[in-house]
Amino acid sequence: MREKDAGHVRSVRRGAVRATGVFPMTVHIIEDDPGVGDSLAMLLGQIGHRALVYPDAESFFEAAPPEAGDTVIVDLGLPGLSGVQLIRWVNGLKHPPKVIAITGQSSRNIMEMLGDEQPAILLRKPLTEELLVSHL
Amino acid sequence: MREDHSRSMSVSPSVSEARLASVLGTAVDGIVVMDDAARIILFNKACETLFGYAAEEVRGKNVKMLMPLDYAREHDGYLSHYLDTGEKRIIGIGREVHGRHRDGTEFPIELSVGEAATPEGRQFIGILRDLRPRKAVERRLADAQAQLVSMTRISALDEMGAAIAHELNQPLTAIMLYLQAARRKAAVDGADDGKLVEIVDKGVREAERASQIIQRMRRFVEKRDPERRSVSMASLIRECLELVMLGDANAEVKISAEIPDDLPDISADPVQIQQVLVNLVRNALEAVRDAQKRIVRIGASTQGGDMIVRVSDSGGGVPPEVVPNLFRAFSGAKRRGLGLGLTISRSIAQNHGGDLWVDPMGEDGGAVFVLRLPIDASGAAESPTPADSATKGPSE
Repeated sequence: MREKDAGHVRSVRRGAVRATGVFPMTVHIIEDDPGVGDSLAMLLGQIGHRALVYPDAESFFEAAPPEAGDTVIVDLGLPGLSGVQLIRWVNGLKHPPKVIAITGQSSRNIMEMLGDEQPAILLRKPLTEELLVSHL
Repeated sequence: MREDHSRSMSVSPSVSEARLASVLGTAVDGIVVMDDAARIILFNKACETLFGYAAEEVRGKNVKMLMPLDYAREHDGYLSHYLDTGEKRIIGIGREVHGRHRDGTEFPIELSVGEAATPEGRQFIGILRDLRPRKAVERRLADAQAQLVSMTRISALDEMGAAIAHELNQPLTAIMLYLQAARRKAAVDGADDGKLVEIVDKGVREAERASQIIQRMRRFVEKRDPERRSVSMASLIRECLELVMLGDANAEVKISAEIPDDLPDISADPVQIQQVLVNLVRNALEAVRDAQKRIVRIGASTQGGDMIVRVSDSGGGVPPEVVPNLFRAFSGAKRRGLGLGLTISRSIAQNHGGDLWVDPMGEDGGAVFVLRLPIDASGAAESPTPADSATKGPSE
């Protein structure tokens, strides 16, 4: 299950980076757990990215849509509109950004929830910096 | 004091005697009449079956032949004690004793003894009820209850593991990411002599250790797939109601089941689904316990490729502030138990590819819990089954 995701690891785009540094980008985080959302934003901020946190899909939709170079990190277990619906919407954009789905659900629940709509990158909680950075 | 029983009256057959013979012959309970010397005078049909002797074989013999040996030894003593003192130890009281069959088998009986002064002397009438069927029923009920408790426990452990893993993952993820952000910050600021980074690293390692424990627990729990087989939802519901009725005194609650005759079988783990049903019905019974109107309804129907089971009660509904957390682990406001029932039930439903949700205020003036399960567990979009067109039961 998880191993399948490994096939989607993107090649590291940039060569040498400064100590803090990566190519800064905007990361949209849609996560209902405030602790997870905030810590994720803080870590991404430390890495050098600009992080925006939304507690649910609805507030994400109200904000300016993500651009092609952005990354969207979405928790699959959102209240209200589901993460799956959000991913569908994002992928329907003219210039879709990269999507990373995160979840604390069991692999079986994920299967039931997603069906054929497996997102390209699916990370299971608990997340680590290593895991996350390798997919950014 | 003792009546003269030398005066033997030859009674001519009469209507009342014929009537008596008929009563004795048809009585379900064993009836034995003995005289004051413990000699058997009368031994009815039920007694013949109960003890394996024919009436002719026992007539005139001491009644203690029907008793286990240790009791039989004492019986004459008991009888003369009563005849001498008039102190009643069994007469008019009745108690649970043991009888002894011709083949030596001892079995529990309820014995009540009456006394009659007849022209033929003092006689004692024993009425014997075989307690074996009742004992068997009691045992079956106890077994069923024990089984329910143990299956609930086993499954609760599994599901509790899954629930804990899920709930702990969130704060653990946050801890890990905060620590890693702090480490980066310390490294970037360069103000640190390396000590802070070391400490944070140790913190990260501990958080990772905790996360590995959770992942192991999760793998262990997930390993156990539901054991699916074709089961009749109708009989699951009926068994559930039987089980639930055993437990509490739910006599004043009106429980009804609405199950269409042509309800299809579903592919599911019967033990787990049973558990969900029992949980929902018990919750419903609890909800109506103090209500004016006490109604619990359970209805099954099909809808598309799904089986829909609705459990509704008249218990006043779920307060709006409770609804958001109703299915979360350890959030229950119940006094008894861990409040894991709904969390577990929903996770069982989801493991089956279905779901469980609540309509906080339904048609009976209380909550309606709706359990949806795919009829065909393969989960793929299947061709409509014949049952689809015949959606019955309570409407959505």
